[in-house]
Amino acid sequence: MAGTVIGEGLVVEGDITGDEEIVINGTLRGRLTTSDAVTVGGTAVVGADITGASLSVAGQVIGDVTASERVDIQAGGKLVGDIKAARFTIADGASFKGNVDMED
Amino acid sequence: MAEISVIGAGTVVSGHVHGDGSLEILGRVEGDVSVTGDVIIGASGRVRGNVSGAQLTISGHVQGDLRGTRAVLLERDARVVGDITSPRVAIAPGALARGHVQTDGEPGAALAPRQVTPAARVAPPAPVARVAPATPVARVAPLAVARVALARPHLPPAPAPAARQPSVAKAPARPEPARPEPARPEPRRVEPARPVAAPVAAPPPPPPPAPAAAPPEPAFVPVRAINPEPRRPPPPVIPVLGKGVKAKKKKSRD
Repeated sequence: MAGTVIGEGLVVEGDITGDEEIVINGTLRGRLTTSDAVTVGGTAVVGADITGASLSVAGQVIGDVTASERVDIQAGGKLVGDIKAARFTIADGASFKGNVDMED
Repeated sequence: MAEISVIGAGTVVSGHVHGDGSLEILGRVEGDVSVTGDVIIGASGRVRGNVSGAQLTISGHVQGDLRGTRAVLLERDARVVGDITSPRVAIAPGALARGHVQTDGEPGAALAPRQVTPAARVAPPAPVARVAPATPVARVAPLAVARVALARPHLPPAPAPAARQPSVAKAPARPEPARPEPARPEPRRVEPARPVAAPVAAPPPPPPPAPAAAPPEPAFVPVRAINPEPRRPPPPVIPVLGKGVKAKKKKSRD
């Protein structure tokens, strides 16, 4: 189980900092920083800059993303913001607007 | 909605957390937490802010007010600095709470008996133990001792050993007149003290009380002795060499 889960219906207004996996199915406004994976579920609405090892987006994210490993936008996911990651995939049906920097 | 949110042990949230559902906090939250469901703050959980929810179960540290619409339970390792408001409040032994605690609201029918039992545990034993056994016994004991003490000294002088009851009844009457007598020597003693007379004035008072009434005197004599002793200035220290002796010696050397 993930270290931190922000469930559907829960709203976090502020910064989340950690060194463990974070799953967001609720709403986050602020900033998200972790040294592990970040998963944004289908019901999530995130208005935050995200920094992590990897990011998987099935919900809605507005903010810049910096990932040390990879960023994946799932089908149905939406991401608006600049992405800086070594690997980046956009699934068919996903929505994305922003700059991509895949330089190591 | 039914999903349980978790703030992991390695996670710090600086900001407010609110919404539906239940929340388990194992990490740190610096901000207010307000959810419609239950809140569990684990032993590693640290919250600096107000926490409100249906039922708060706390094993960690909270610096802020707790408000539970159903219950607030402080487990053994809980440490709460802030006010607690809930219809049901439970504080387990070992928990630390500092603040105002208020059990208000509408406790559920099934919850009412639980609330009564903790109250019964805490309240009745303490008053019963303190009020019933302690005070009456304590009051009775000194009185009895005092009566006995009064009766004993008076009994020996009483010539009638057969009728103890009348003697006891007479005994209290006798000490009453006897007390005013000792009072008289007091003013006498004070009078000599006022003029700050020489040591000559002091010796005369002690002899009169000794030969006078036997029982009251011993009580007063020690009182006198105790008071003047500490008031006396320390005895003068007489220098081995008289004043000016050294100067004279120096002069003689010169």
